[in-house]
Amino acid sequence: MTAVTRTTAASRPRPTVRPPGLTLLRLLRLELRHNAMAWLLPVAIGLFWLTTYRKDMAMPPLWNLRATGLQLGAVLDFAVPVTGAAAWMGSREARRRVTDLVTVTARPRWARLLASWAATTIWAMVGYLGCTAVLYGVTAHQASWGGPLWWPAAVGAACLPAFSALGFVLGTFLPGRFTAPLAAIAAFFVVALSTELIRGSQSYWNISPIVTGPWDLGPQAGVATFYPYLPDLSIAQVMFLAGLTVALLGALALPAGSGGRALRTAAAGLTGAGLLAAGTAVWLAGTGTMDAHGMIGIPALHDAASDQPLRFTPVCSHTAIPVCLNPAFAGYLSVMANALAPLLSQLAGLPGAPTRIVQDSVIYQQGAGNSVTIRPRNPADGDSSPVSHLVLPDQTQGQAMTASQLASTVITTYGLELVARVTGDGPGASPAQNAVAAALMRAVSVGGVLVTQAPSNQCPPVSEPQAGPVRQGEQGHRSGPGTVCASQSQGVARGTPAAAAAERFAARPASVRHAWLVRHLAALRAGQITLAQLP
Amino acid sequence: MSRRVPFAMLAIAACAIGLRIALLGHWDAYGALQLPLIFEAAAAVSVVATVASPFGEPERVAGRWLPYVRLAVTAALTAAAIGLLAAAGTGANLSGGTLDVLRNVAGITGIGLLCAAALGSGLSWTGPTGYLVAAVYALYTQWHPPALTTPWLWPARPPHDLGGAICAVLVFTCGVAVVTVRGARDRPGDPAAA
Repeated sequence: MTAVTRTTAASRPRPTVRPPGLTLLRLLRLELRHNAMAWLLPVAIGLFWLTTYRKDMAMPPLWNLRATGLQLGAVLDFAVPVTGAAAWMGSREARRRVTDLVTVTARPRWARLLASWAATTIWAMVGYLGCTAVLYGVTAHQASWGGPLWWPAAVGAACLPAFSALGFVLGTFLPGRFTAPLAAIAAFFVVALSTELIRGSQSYWNISPIVTGPWDLGPQAGVATFYPYLPDLSIAQVMFLAGLTVALLGALALPAGSGGRALRTAAAGLTGAGLLAAGTAVWLAGTGTMDAHGMIGIPALHDAASDQPLRFTPVCSHTAIPVCLNPAFAGYLSVMANALAPLLSQLAGLPGAPTRIVQDSVIYQQGAGNSVTIRPRNPADGDSSPVSHLVLPDQTQGQAMTASQLASTVITTYGLELVARVTGDGPGASPAQNAVAAALMRAVSVGGVLVTQAPSNQCPPVSEPQAGPVRQGEQGHRSGPGTVCASQSQGVARGTPAAAAAERFAARPASVRHAWLVRHLAALRAGQITLAQLP
Repeated sequence: MSRRVPFAMLAIAACAIGLRIALLGHWDAYGALQLPLIFEAAAAVSVVATVASPFGEPERVAGRWLPYVRLAVTAALTAAAIGLLAAAGTGANLSGGTLDVLRNVAGITGIGLLCAAALGSGLSWTGPTGYLVAAVYALYTQWHPPALTTPWLWPARPPHDLGGAICAVLVFTCGVAVVTVRGARDRPGDPAAA
């Protein structure tokens, strides 16, 4: 009898079947580990620090300024490295001569390319979100009021997939060592100089992702502080960028060999839909107009609720006449109060003097071409009005000011206006009124400012032609807070009896001046006081 | 290296033609200032793209003329880029003039050559393109203080500025020297460098 040993044949290992999603994730992980964008992140972050962060930090801590600065700067900073890295990754297979090798893999070419594009975009997004988080975090720490504006940040984020797709398509269809650098520079050229074609707020070119408002107006402290930030243009820009991204990614699958017939048909549909969305967004941008609050509104995307003023509790100083500012400008309060306090203590309680000074918003008006006129919402308060409206220089001038510049400007513009309101100084005023106004200004002015000479009879033009380079961040047309020619003092010329009387009156103690004004202001305003009667 | 020279010449010529066409248009002061710099950077990256080489140690040892060839090709292409761009600006309102073209193209090419030596020829464009963004911003700050006045951002300096010129020449000299002696940091036999 023979013993039979029964053995069972070893079963063949069953092929591992991974879920498709897991496979794609693994592919994405591989692409993330071998992506050029990871190496270019330091370049992008360095550029962001140099050109955007430093510039934003030099601006006052107002959310609207920081957010629009972020959009403008970050888009330019990331355009070059993202487009270049994507083009480099897109041309990888051709550069390494492995196109035939990878063609036989199980995955469709489109899926493989999309994984590489996604990895590039993810790295770029990580860098961008990190930069945005730092900038917004610091701003949140510094800002006295308000909250982050997310639409400008969203436009910047939407740019990254679009730049990545653009570079990737160029790299895939035109592989070569020259493609990446030339694509990067071309992207920068298009983005940076597309704004040259903007003419007015109704321009299709406002779709450019670096545009945050009327071009050449620049970041304005007065925008989106009294009224909500209008997202209309941002929505159109995001729509354009998303459409462009979809169209470009769809185009990747159009060549034969990218996938099956159904896939290519779907890709063609995607491309068409993307182009349609992008075209619609451009058309929408062309219908936009600048509203009175300095932002571009697009009728089809506009929410009427955005036209309602923001509710806030003003912050007020403890001066003789309280100065109340929008809480977003709370950082200016001490400077304003210190600058105006000596003047306010003399004017408080006098007939015609306000009981409260309140910061006012400004009105923006589109002029010819790209010019924009800015004027106070309440240009002239009546003498009997208990409230005087004040417009800060920052609301009408694009450039940020130092504290001393701000104080000096406020004194020489608004202070003069306030003195004229009380003394009745202005065109047609008596020499005594001129002298008293000059004396009050001299007594309180920064650096001994004295209105010594009658200004030109002609008011400066509200809008002036731009001189020199103008880019967003600068504004060439504005009317200052003190552009109130109707009430401008005639001043006193040096060496005249009026100047001597002004010097004499200014030399008196503040309490004496105030007491004299209490007694004689009515007569002074009526023109019944002569220079000799001034103490 | 030589395989890419015709394409590089083509790209440089395209840059010159593009600059000439662009100068025909109406630009505001910003566009007029930034435009030449963008084309200069494009020409410079075209020069730098030619430094890729598949040669390895044996060729380096055996071919004693190789460094001279590298030097000659780089110098010739840089000179061609400067010449063509300057010619493109002749008779037009080219901001900065020929001196600016000379300084900027040489300096940005130097940055690219140094990147090729440090990162490899494949990513040599990252330096020049990143520098372009920084330089454009430096130009912008000339009207929006605080200005970036370091001579290392030479495109923002006036054409006759000595500091900017020295920095640009220094960078170009270092780049040419390193690439001449060592070549780009490419892996021997890398098909991407061929």
